[in-house]
Order: sequence, then C-alpha cells, then structure tokens
Amino acid sequence: MAAQETRDLAGAVDSTDPTVGLAAVASLRTLVERLEALHVANARERGWSWQEIGAALGVSKQAVHRKHGRRRRLLG
Amino acid sequence: MFERFSDEARAAVVAAESEAAGLHHGHIGTEHLLLGVLTTGPGARLLAEYGVEAGPVREDVVQIVGRGDDDIDRAALATLGIDFDAVRERVERSFGPGALSRRACGRGLLSRHIPFTPRAKKVLELTLREGLALGSRELRAEHLVLGLLREDEGIAARILRARGVAFEEVRARIAGRDAA
Repeated sequence: MAAQETRDLAGAVDSTDPTVGLAAVASLRTLVERLEALHVANARERGWSWQEIGAALGVSKQAVHRKHGRRRRLLG
Repeated sequence: MFERFSDEARAAVVAAESEAAGLHHGHIGTEHLLLGVLTTGPGARLLAEYGVEAGPVREDVVQIVGRGDDDIDRAALATLGIDFDAVRERVERSFGPGALSRRACGRGLLSRHIPFTPRAKKVLELTLREGLALGSRELRAEHLVLGLLREDEGIAARILRARGVAFEEVRARIAGRDAA
C-alpha cells in the first residue's frame, strides 16, 4: 500500500474505534520489542554490560539479562 | 567453502542475500538460495526445464514464509502518525536489511551480513558433496540445485518437490551434461 493511501485510510478511521486503537498498540509493541532486541544485541556487541544496558533502558540488569541473555547464548 | 564455486554459483549466493533483503527477511534460508539460483543463467535454464521460474517461486516463498515484518500492521501504526516504512528504512540503514524481521534478533549485527540458516549451510555442504560425487572440479549453480534437493526438508526442497523436480532425475541430467 502506498504511503499516501495509508495516511488517507488512517485519517478516515474514527480514532476512538477500539479495533483500530488496539491494533495500533499491538503493532507498536511488536515494533518496540524488535527495536529493543536489536539495540540490546548491538550494545552487547559493542561491549556494554547488562548493568549499563539496564540503566539505559530504565530497568534492572537482571530484567534485561533475563529477557535478552538467553537468546544471545543460543545463537552465539 | 566458496573457493570451489564458479562465478555463477557465487552470483547465485550473492543474489540469495539480495532476495532475503528484498523480502526484509533477517536470514538467508534455502528458499533464498533457490531464488538466487533462479536469477543465474544456468540455474534458471535447468529449472526452466521443469517449468520452475523465479516469479512464481517468489510468490510461493511469500506465501509460506511471509515478509519479514508483515506481522506489523502499517495502517494501524499510521493512525498514530507512525510511518512504518520510514522507520524500517532508517533501522535497515543502520543495521542492515531485514533487521526488523521476526528472525533477525541476536544476529551478528556488526558484520552487517545476513546470516545463513543452519539448513542453508547444510545446502552449501551438500552442494559441495554432490559436486565432488559427480567429479566436478568446479561447483556450479546446477550443483546448488542438487544441494537444495538433497537437503530435502527446507522450504526450497518443498517448493521444488511440489513442482515435480526430483533429485535423481536432476542428478542424471547434470551427469549426462558433464559427460557430454
């Protein structure tokens, strides 16, 4: 779908429609999760500690390690 | 691994990476290797004899695997003023093609190469093995087809099987040509 067409469609939809609002939240969450995984992996490759990554994300180092540590070991 | 590959076989592997990038996939799987083979002259000619062509195979791949980020609802994000394609473009500029795809997480980001899946690696090994078994000094795009078929479980093997391409027959055909 062309960008202009997407915007027109977006503008045409009632912004209080839960179907639209919830779909937007779900996709935003997916996007955020992907970005987080990407940037955490990038920080690790650049030698950042879990402590530093947690601090930058505003969560504990345990939380960030629990979420992203295993994935890296599996693929490493 | 690639020292023994002919220029065209190498071109097929390079094309496989472009195919993965074009579909925003964060991995190079057997399906991308098949598409890569279909973009080279000899590989495309061999598979054309079975009526297998790049366009329909690409459609098969999209149907089976999807695009790397088609679980993200662009229209929904646009209601928030977020242009997903613009976000993806920036992220891919920094982290390489397919960086936002489902399977990209945790790969070697600094290398910027799209990694091969274990099955795709196996295809490359089997290509080598089949080429040696046929007594070929050089591995060509045709041998990649044998590797794809021999691997047997990947998406490429499934697509080829569904289109009536069988290992033994292709092998006999290549052996006949090599002997001629």
